[in-house]
Amino acid sequence: MGLFDKLAGWLGLKKEVNVLCLGLDNSGKTTIINRLKPSNAQAQDIVPTIGFSIEKFKTSSLSFTVFDMSGQGRYRNLWEHYYKEGQAIIFVIDSADKLRMVVAKEELDTLLNHPDIKHRRIPILFFANKMDVRDALSSVKVSQLLCLENIKDKPWHICATDALKGEGLQEGVDWLQDQMTQSNQNNQNMRS
Amino acid sequence: MELSSDAGKWLDAHYDPVAGLYTFSPCMDLADLNGDGENRLLVGDLGSGSLGMKLKVYRGTALSSESALLDLPTGLVSFFMDLHEPRVPAVAVASGPCVYIYKNLRPYFKFTLPGLDVNSLEQDVWQQAREGQIDPLSLKEMLESIRNKADVPLSVRSLSFLSLEPSEMDEFVQLHKQQPVKRQTVITCIQTLKKSTSDDDGVSCLVIGTESCHVYVLDPEAFIILSKMVLPSAPTMMNVTGQYDVEFRVTVACRNGSIYVLRRESEKPKYCIELSSHPVGLVRVGKNLVVGGNDESLHGFTQKGKKLWKISLPAPITTMATMDLPTRGFQAVLVGLANCEVHLYRDKNLLSTIRTPDAVTSICFGRYGREDGTLIMATKGGGLLVKILKRTAAFEDKDSTPGPPLTQSVRLNTHKKTKLYVDQMMRERESGTVMHRAFQMDLSRLRLATAKAYLKALESSLTPMSSSLSEPLKMNAVVQGLGPSFNCSFHHTGLSLVTKEEHWLL
Repeated sequence: MGLFDKLAGWLGLKKEVNVLCLGLDNSGKTTIINRLKPSNAQAQDIVPTIGFSIEKFKTSSLSFTVFDMSGQGRYRNLWEHYYKEGQAIIFVIDSADKLRMVVAKEELDTLLNHPDIKHRRIPILFFANKMDVRDALSSVKVSQLLCLENIKDKPWHICATDALKGEGLQEGVDWLQDQMTQSNQNNQNMRS
Repeated sequence: MELSSDAGKWLDAHYDPVAGLYTFSPCMDLADLNGDGENRLLVGDLGSGSLGMKLKVYRGTALSSESALLDLPTGLVSFFMDLHEPRVPAVAVASGPCVYIYKNLRPYFKFTLPGLDVNSLEQDVWQQAREGQIDPLSLKEMLESIRNKADVPLSVRSLSFLSLEPSEMDEFVQLHKQQPVKRQTVITCIQTLKKSTSDDDGVSCLVIGTESCHVYVLDPEAFIILSKMVLPSAPTMMNVTGQYDVEFRVTVACRNGSIYVLRRESEKPKYCIELSSHPVGLVRVGKNLVVGGNDESLHGFTQKGKKLWKISLPAPITTMATMDLPTRGFQAVLVGLANCEVHLYRDKNLLSTIRTPDAVTSICFGRYGREDGTLIMATKGGGLLVKILKRTAAFEDKDSTPGPPLTQSVRLNTHKKTKLYVDQMMRERESGTVMHRAFQMDLSRLRLATAKAYLKALESSLTPMSSSLSEPLKMNAVVQGLGPSFNCSFHHTGLSLVTKEEHWLL
């Protein structure tokens, strides 16, 4: 870490990171973001997001600004307008919705082939959500169905989660934090 | 013909070739059975042979429940029968003479069609059999003579009795003779009709078509007959639109190969469309009807029966359904064909072709699960096929029929109007009369000059005329151009068969 970052760390100023939270409707994006917020700021009722909402939460070294996008079909064309700002992507999948796994794959492929994303080494965190549902697919199966092994030029990670209980979320966020600090260091190394 | 491929528009969500689903389009519906915003697929499964009739409910890719049906289903619809919360629809399954109503997938009510008049002779014969006055063999003879003569057909009981072997007859008579003879008709088609509001979750009446050529409208709560209409033939397919309390149209395809349109407050059909072939599919797109004929053709009609278009298809039609996407304002017709293809037509234009692994017998399009544009198909071999319309899919309205070429409508790159042209036009508009008079004056002068010259030629014996009628001289003058300079050409045709041409630039 550079001297300034250390100084910022002592002063309680954390590095800001913009994250896009994407995924189909009813996959649990808002619930996951809600879970990541401090417990006194969490909302009790989660309603379907209209358009998008901006949420903030902090980890030990980073301050995340999350664009929680609506997953409903008619709002999905809004996603691409925020690709430029995003420094990381959280993609949430409803592991219990086998029927719409193709739709999730389609949206993911569109995302990966978008000019604003395609040539950037942007970390993608997948949450295979709703693991509490009885006939949910495993995270391995989900990554198979979404053909995640084909993503060669971007760091990615998949976690099995249950957003209602908050299981598995921390692991994913830790990975994301590592990725972000690593890329910061890389940038600094390149600069110096 | 170039086929637009389906790969760019549809996502293959699910295919189970051994789902064991034997059904046809009227027995498929989509409904939010639990009120949780997730639509289930309801199927009245015909089973195989006379066994295994079932009411099946699919959630996502899996069968979530099934319950046995007593008889072969002829139609299945989901409808809201009351305004109670939570708003969950009931399911109506038509089979034989009854409509079975399910609420929360439990049997709730059974509606039976009113009985028909029984032949009095038949009744007497069975009365005698009950009292033991006649034996089964003479009963058979008497029933056969009634069947041949009477104008009122026999009841189902007598017909099944006549089909028995003599050894089984006695047992059959013993079993049935105590019950009174009843003659029942059967339901051929069932649809829903909104009662008073056009909301998606408005209360709906059931509309039933029967073998006895009637159409009944049932009250959604009390299941009493609200309205009864008569058709000239037995209905096979039905399409209903409108609201019962306001105005409605029931379009019925009948077994005599005609389509009738029934309206509110008229017991008899209002319009009749006579088809050249038997209808095998009937769907409504907006205000128009699309009818599939068994001669591999598709016809478009207005709702008053005016024919709009006809196209021929590459294979016989197996089933038809409407594709309605209100969120995108898109309506089209899905036609299942025997050559394992499903065609999508908007009016007479083929928009997309979907190839299926097996011939499709049943098509249902709508919201399934949480996805609005889902196409569900059951195949001949009992498979279940689910496709989802891509969010980015766009259908091009390409006219496949030969017509005027596209270049015809391309505008030519003509020059802009010059100032001179506009000035000239203004002048013509303002002093049109003066110009006309000047022209007439000049024309008269020209004529006078011509006549003088002609006279002079005659007087000086220049013989300006052809000397004999068999060798004529022809002159043709053509003026080309709009001015101020003209091209004037004269064609002389003389006896020497040589054409002289002169061009004068004026």
